[in-house]
Amino acid sequence: MMKKRLLVSLASLLLVSGLLLAGCNSAKTSEGSGKVTLTFGTSQSGIPRTGIMQTMAKEYEQETGVKIDFQVVPDAQWRDLIKVKLASGEAPDIFNVDVDPLSMPANVRPEENAIDLTNEEFAGRMSEEILPTVSYNDKVYGVSFAPSKIWYVYYNKRIFNELGIEPPTTYAEFKAISEKIKAQDIIPFYQAPASGWYQVLPLFETGPNYEHTTPGTYEKLNNNEMKVADLTQLKTVIEQLKEFADLGYFGKDFLSNTVEAGIEAFGQEKAAMLLRVPGTEKEVSEAYPEMEDNMGFFVMPWGDNQTIGVNPGGSAAMFGNKNSKHPEEVLKFFRWITEHDNLQRVFDGGEGNLTICWPEIEPKLTQDYIDYEKNHEKGTVMQAAVKYIDPQWMDIGKDISGMFAGAMTPDQILQNIDKRRAEQAKVLKDEAWQ
Amino acid sequence: MNANKIYPWYFSSGAIVLYILFIVAPALLGIYYSFTDWNSYSSEKNFVGLEHFRTILAGDPTYLLFIKNTVLFTLVTSIAKTVLGLFLALLLVSGVKAANLHRMIIFSPQVLSFLIIGLVFKSLLDPNNGFVNVTLRSLGLDFLAQNWLGSLTWAMPSIMAVDTWKGMGYIMVLFIAGLLAIPRDYYEAASIDGAGFWQKLFKITLPMLMPTITIATVLNITYGLRVFDAVYVLTNGGPGNATDVINTAVYSSFAKGYWGLGSALSTILFVIMAIISFFIIRLMNRKVEF
Repeated sequence: MMKKRLLVSLASLLLVSGLLLAGCNSAKTSEGSGKVTLTFGTSQSGIPRTGIMQTMAKEYEQETGVKIDFQVVPDAQWRDLIKVKLASGEAPDIFNVDVDPLSMPANVRPEENAIDLTNEEFAGRMSEEILPTVSYNDKVYGVSFAPSKIWYVYYNKRIFNELGIEPPTTYAEFKAISEKIKAQDIIPFYQAPASGWYQVLPLFETGPNYEHTTPGTYEKLNNNEMKVADLTQLKTVIEQLKEFADLGYFGKDFLSNTVEAGIEAFGQEKAAMLLRVPGTEKEVSEAYPEMEDNMGFFVMPWGDNQTIGVNPGGSAAMFGNKNSKHPEEVLKFFRWITEHDNLQRVFDGGEGNLTICWPEIEPKLTQDYIDYEKNHEKGTVMQAAVKYIDPQWMDIGKDISGMFAGAMTPDQILQNIDKRRAEQAKVLKDEAWQ
Repeated sequence: MNANKIYPWYFSSGAIVLYILFIVAPALLGIYYSFTDWNSYSSEKNFVGLEHFRTILAGDPTYLLFIKNTVLFTLVTSIAKTVLGLFLALLLVSGVKAANLHRMIIFSPQVLSFLIIGLVFKSLLDPNNGFVNVTLRSLGLDFLAQNWLGSLTWAMPSIMAVDTWKGMGYIMVLFIAGLLAIPRDYYEAASIDGAGFWQKLFKITLPMLMPTITIATVLNITYGLRVFDAVYVLTNGGPGNATDVINTAVYSSFAKGYWGLGSALSTILFVIMAIISFFIIRLMNRKVEF
C-alpha cells in the first residue's frame, strides 16, 4: 500500500513539474492578449546604429499589431551566442548572422534552422552577388541589405595637408607619414582591439594581394595543399601591425579602444586615420559638421597592397527561425521590410552606406569612389574565398591582441590559424584534410 | 521495511527525483558526451575515447595555461577573501561605530550581478579616461597609471582584485556569525590568565572558527575554480589568452559548436573540484581541542 502511494506521489510530482515547465515555455512567446511579439536577435553592427530599423518596427507594430522586440548584443559576443542559441533551440524568431558563402551553411545550418524564402517574391529582387551568401542547396534562406563591403583607410585631409603628406601606396610610405603624424601628438591610425574583430581586417582584406602575387593561393589553401603559415605576405602584414603597435602609431593603451569610439576619435581629430567602409564621410560629418569635405580614403597599404578587397557578403543577413512559433508573422515582416519604399527607408536612414544589395535602389557612390575603383584592381577578400577563416575571426582577434600585448609572435598566430582550420575541417569531415 | 523507515523516504522522494533529473542525469550525460565527438555541425555522436582529454592535458599548451590561470585565480582570491573577510569581521565585532552600516556597505557588492560590476570596473579601469588612472595622474602619480585590463602584467591581478572586492563581504558575514557564536567565557578566562590579543586570536578565535574557515575556504575554492563571469566581462580572456580560465574555454568550445571538447573540459574541472574539496574538508574538518 505504502509503495503504491509512493509511486502515485512520484507520478503526480512529475506531472506537476511537467505542466509547470510547459506553462513557463508557453508564457515566453504569448502575451496573453493575443498580441504577437517577434524577437529579433542581432549584433550591434547587424542593424543600422541610427535606429531606423527600430523606428520602422514601431510603425509596423502600429500597422499590424505585431511587435518586434530587438535584442541587440555586442559584436564580440553575438557570433558565439547565436550558435549556442541555435543549437539549444532558443534562437530568436528573427536572427542576424554575418554571412559569406563558405561559412553560412555551417554557422546557420539553414535546412534545420531557417525558414525557406526561395519562393518569396522579394528573394528574386536581391542582387545576384549577395544571393550565394544567403543561399544553400539552391534555396534562399536570408535577407540582406548589405552592400558589397570594402574597407578603406579614411584620412583627415587637413592634417595631411598641414603636414605636407600624401596618401601612401606602400608600407614604407605608410610608416613614414604615421611617424610625422605622431610627432604632432595625434594618433596616426585608430585601432580597436577591444571590439575583438577590427584588428583582423588588415590580414584578410589584403587577401587579393596574396592571390595577385601568387595566383592559385586561395585554391591551394582550400585544397589543403598549403598552410596559412606558408603565406609570407600574410606574416609580413602581421609583423607590420605589430611594428605599428610598438612604434605607438595606434596610440598609447589602444588595446581598450572600441570600434564605436573610432568615429569620435576621428571626428575630433584625435586620430588621423581609421579603417571604415564607404559612406563614413556622412556618418562622421553628421556628428562633426566641421569634418565635412575633410575626409579622403585610400586602399590599405599593409604588405604594399594596392588591390581593393571586396567582400560580396560579410555583413549581417536576417534569417527567420524555422522553429519559431510565429513563422507566418516572420514572413509577413520580411515581405513588409523588403517593399520598395521600406528598402529605400532602410538605405536612406542607415549610417551612410552608399550601396545596398537591391538593384532597384539607386546607389549613392560619389565620383571619388567611382574614379578610385576604376584605377585599382579588385579582388575577393580572403575570408570570403578561403574556407575556415571567417569562423575563427574572433579567435584571430584575440591572438592579435595577445601579440600587441607581447604574449604571442606572428608565427604563433599563423600556426594557430592553421590549427583551428584543421580542427574545423575535421569536425566538418572535409576530404581535403582527411 | 517498516513504516517508520519508509516515512522519511516518502517525504524526500520529490526532492530526490528532481535532484536526479536536473543534477545527476545532466552531469552523467556531460561525462558521457566528453567521450564523443558531439558537435553543432552534425547530428552524429561518435565515441572517440580519451581523445579530448589527451588534447587538453597533453596535446595543447594553451589548455594547460587555462588550468594554470584557474588554479592561480582560485588560490589568490581564496586567500585574499578569507584574510580580508576575517579582518573585516574582527573589526566589525570589536565594537566599531556604525558596525551594521559598514557591514551592509561591505556586503552590498555581493548582491550585484557581475555583469554590472564588470561594466562599472571596465569604465573605472579604462587606461585613458578611467577614474583610477585619471586620479593617479591628477595626483602626479603617472608612473602608477597602468593599462589595468589590457596588459599581460596587470590584467589577471585586476580581475582578482575586483573579484575579491565583490566576494569578501559574503565571507565577512560568515565570519561574523562564527565569531558571535564563540562563548565569551573563553576570552574572559584567557584575560584572567593574562593572554594578549594575539594569544586570544591564535589560541581561541581561530581554532573555534575552524568550521567557518572550512566552509569559507571550500566556498571560495569552488567559486574560484568555477570563475567565468569576472573574466568574461572584464577581459574576455585577453589580452590574447592571458586571463582565460577553464570556464571561458568551456564557453568558447560550446560557442564554436565543439560540444564534446567542452564537455571534456567541464569533466576535468569537475574532477579537480571534487579532489580539492575532498582534501580540504578532510584536512580542515578536525575537532577543536584545547
